[in-house]
Amino acid sequence: MSDVVLFGILWVILTILGEIGVSLWGHNMYYYMASTQAIEGNHAAIFLMIFLTPIFMFVVLMLFFVPFRFRAKDGDRKVKAATFKTNRTFISIWVTVSVCVNVLFFIHPTASAAEMMFQEANPANQQNTLIVDVVARQWQWYFSYPQYGVTNTVNANGFNDLYLPVGRKVEFVLRSYDPNHTYDPNLDVVHDLWIPAFGIKEDVIPGETRFMYVTPNVITSFEKNPMVRVQCAEVCGPGHPYMWAPVHVVSSSNFATWIAQQKKQNG
Amino acid sequence: MSTLELRPDISPVPQVVKSKRMPPVIRGILWSAIGFLVINTLISYVLDPRYGHPFITQVSITFGWFAAMVGWVLGVGAWEGAVLPAFGHHGTLYTAPGWKRFFEYSTEHKVIGLQYIGSSAGGFFIAGLAAMLMRLELMNNSMWLFNYPQQYLTTVGIHGTIMMFSVGTVALVGGLGNYLVPLMIGSNTSAFPRMSGISVLLVPFGIVTVALSPLLGYWSTGWRGYEPLASQDPSGILFYYLGVFALTLSSLLVSINLTATVIFKRAPGMTWGRLPMFAWGITTVSLLNIIWLPEIQLTFVMSLVNRLVPLPLFTATGSPLTYMELFWLFGHPEVYIVVVPALALWQEIIPVMTRKPLFARQWGVIGLIFVMMLSGFVWAHHMFTNMRNVEMMPFSFFTEMISIPTGFAYLVALGTLWRGRLKFNTVSLLVLMSMFNFLIGGMTGVFLADPIINLQAHDTFFVVGHFHYTIIGGMVFSWLAAMYYWLPKMSGRMYNERLGKIGAIWIFLAFNLTFSQFFLLGLHGMNRWVSVYPSYLQPMNFETSIFAFLLGLGFLFHLVHIWWAWRAGQKAEGNPWESKSVEWITASPPAEESFPVIPRIVSSTYTYDNDEPAVIIPSDGKRVATTS
Ligand code: HEM
Ligand SMILES: [Cu+2]
Ligand SMILES: [Cu+2]
Repeated sequence: MSDVVLFGILWVILTILGEIGVSLWGHNMYYYMASTQAIEGNHAAIFLMIFLTPIFMFVVLMLFFVPFRFRAKDGDRKVKAATFKTNRTFISIWVTVSVCVNVLFFIHPTASAAEMMFQEANPANQQNTLIVDVVARQWQWYFSYPQYGVTNTVNANGFNDLYLPVGRKVEFVLRSYDPNHTYDPNLDVVHDLWIPAFGIKEDVIPGETRFMYVTPNVITSFEKNPMVRVQCAEVCGPGHPYMWAPVHVVSSSNFATWIAQQKKQNG
Repeated sequence: MSTLELRPDISPVPQVVKSKRMPPVIRGILWSAIGFLVINTLISYVLDPRYGHPFITQVSITFGWFAAMVGWVLGVGAWEGAVLPAFGHHGTLYTAPGWKRFFEYSTEHKVIGLQYIGSSAGGFFIAGLAAMLMRLELMNNSMWLFNYPQQYLTTVGIHGTIMMFSVGTVALVGGLGNYLVPLMIGSNTSAFPRMSGISVLLVPFGIVTVALSPLLGYWSTGWRGYEPLASQDPSGILFYYLGVFALTLSSLLVSINLTATVIFKRAPGMTWGRLPMFAWGITTVSLLNIIWLPEIQLTFVMSLVNRLVPLPLFTATGSPLTYMELFWLFGHPEVYIVVVPALALWQEIIPVMTRKPLFARQWGVIGLIFVMMLSGFVWAHHMFTNMRNVEMMPFSFFTEMISIPTGFAYLVALGTLWRGRLKFNTVSLLVLMSMFNFLIGGMTGVFLADPIINLQAHDTFFVVGHFHYTIIGGMVFSWLAAMYYWLPKMSGRMYNERLGKIGAIWIFLAFNLTFSQFFLLGLHGMNRWVSVYPSYLQPMNFETSIFAFLLGLGFLFHLVHIWWAWRAGQKAEGNPWESKSVEWITASPPAEESFPVIPRIVSSTYTYDNDEPAVIIPSDGKRVATTS
């Protein structure tokens, strides 16, 4: 059997196996998803995996094929290596495929998913958006709900607490300064608001106001899955690992109850 | 009487005198200490005294450090070797015998190359020890090894800084580049040998500086030195700026020297079209260094001044983002500085091992050049979490496109492997492994280039897995392959094939089992720069650490094996791989003067389809001019 045919058959088999693997495992890649953005990201990743699998298998198979098939036995000098220095067909296919695949990836999922993200941030699309003011300082997260007149929500232990109603878009307004020492505007550093289960993060930068949009889509909480937490993801000094807060995604009626209770505490 | 006495002494070669003298390294340390004490005292007591008269201030230590650096370089021998000759004195250059040559100032590119390789290996094991401490701490999800997160963060910073600036940027360029490039192009020297002798001394000095940074206080920024955190950090960060300054200066000088060497020192017949791939790799990477290293040096000088004065350049009333842009403007080319020579090494070694002409050579060269050019257009893909939305698309676009020229390295390598007669030894095994690892590093990079995925994976262990796959998987594996490949050249001795293969498989398994789990940890919610993390991540961290220790041991195994082979391995034949390249026509190891007669290159050195030599030694026995 010629090398090319054997290689081709093995490649097809490996690619099929790889694609089966992708379809079995791909949707687990994010471990736990609780927002439409996470699902969006996971879809993008699965799309990439589907197209990368044949390329990956091609190279990996080659790396195994060569030492098995084209190995020089010790002392065997009769068999000579091939002498070609170029192969127009192979090079043309290689260059064309790599350009096409990369252009495809840029159009979809890169640009298409980004377009959806940009739409979510569009001021025209904020009819029912819940605004959460976030202040990051070394090393604590403060959450406030200006639409409800509630500032700095905390749980019964006085620990900063984030509640979100399910199915409603949230606009996080991100600022980094120390609200307890406002006389020095230069006190704080770069932080990063990350909620692993939401599949998205955004840096919080001193002197700037930044926005992050996310739509939680299942009722869940930190108690259910520890990925449902706010975690600072940018190094911000020794307290960095401790800079986290639990997140609760609740029904809209439970959210109203919680807001009322926070109002009483604030009051 | 001998005729020698009649000859007037016109030789510019310094007299070689053996006498009782202080070992150069000891004198370097002494001069360095003197330099530091004089300048530090001058500044802290006379020029810029502070309240309470502290002996060491941030300003005094900065200038004191520069004096120490100069003292070290001169003390080791640059005084006799470079300064005195510049003023017309011959000086007395001592040349120690044997291994002592490697511990003194030298202008010989092979000695310098080995000094670079030795320093890089030293940096690798110091920073590797730091990695082991980090993995030890991460075996448990609470503080147990370190007492305070700042200690962990300093360890991360020392690890990353030394690895990047003394290993990643240095081992293949300053090390293999200095040793091999002149040999490969048929030259007896590099273009600026005295400068080169100085530049290598900066590496150990820089490594020691960074490693000693905890003396001045723990710092927390890691290798990126992000502002405004850096300006609030304890003073240990000073030694980060200064150490990196020494290390980047060293690489800058290397690049100037090697670029000039490739341009001006080629033997007759060594045209650009015949230039070996590794020399091409070193040329492109040197251009990257020459463009970007001054940029990061100025950024760090700015940060340093910002801290010493102090200024509010990068605070809320300044612009923190500016620092990030400036850092990554260099930082992204840096990762190609690390990996381009590794890609070139594959293309250098594979034709020899498969006995087959290099496939699609011009595409390999195009790949290296386009990677070099595009790498300046992608820096902000490190900043998807903090840039404006409108800026995302161009950076995402160029990042995805750079995988095309990077892929050409695979095109060339695979095309050469296909239907060759592969000599399946430690060297080719390591090259194939490196290609496998870098494939995973590159493909995970495609995910990271997509903003919506990046926003989940950025700043997590996913990214840590990605870049270790490219750097260890791609560059360190290739470095090892190159060490085994050129070991017979450098030492005249052969490694043990069985031990080499065992070691290769060992690190391959340990490496993949360690770092593939980094991807999963990151996706599961493990962020970076944490010594404490939620308990659900502990089981996986625990076993990841075990594999990491095995990996560390595997690298030690290779070190010991290479060391042993160097000293006691079997005597190797002059050209054990039957390579046609120029470096193999010299003696192994080459004499101080590699080519008594400058060779003439008559064809590409990758023509394994015939038995004609690619290099001939002109038979009239005369020296030939060294340009073409
Ligand atoms: C010997 C095996 C190695 C192990 C087990 C290892 C492990 C680690 C770990 C656990 C981190 C910390 C991740 C974080 O929290 O951000 C890290 C960071 C890093 N490593 Fe390694 N590493 C190894 C070798 C290398 C090598 C060879 C290089 C480069 C030549 C390298 C370059 C880096 C860099 C640049 C960082 C980032 C440091 C920072 O965040 O400032 N590592 N490594
Ligand atoms: Cu933080
Ligand atoms: Cu942080």
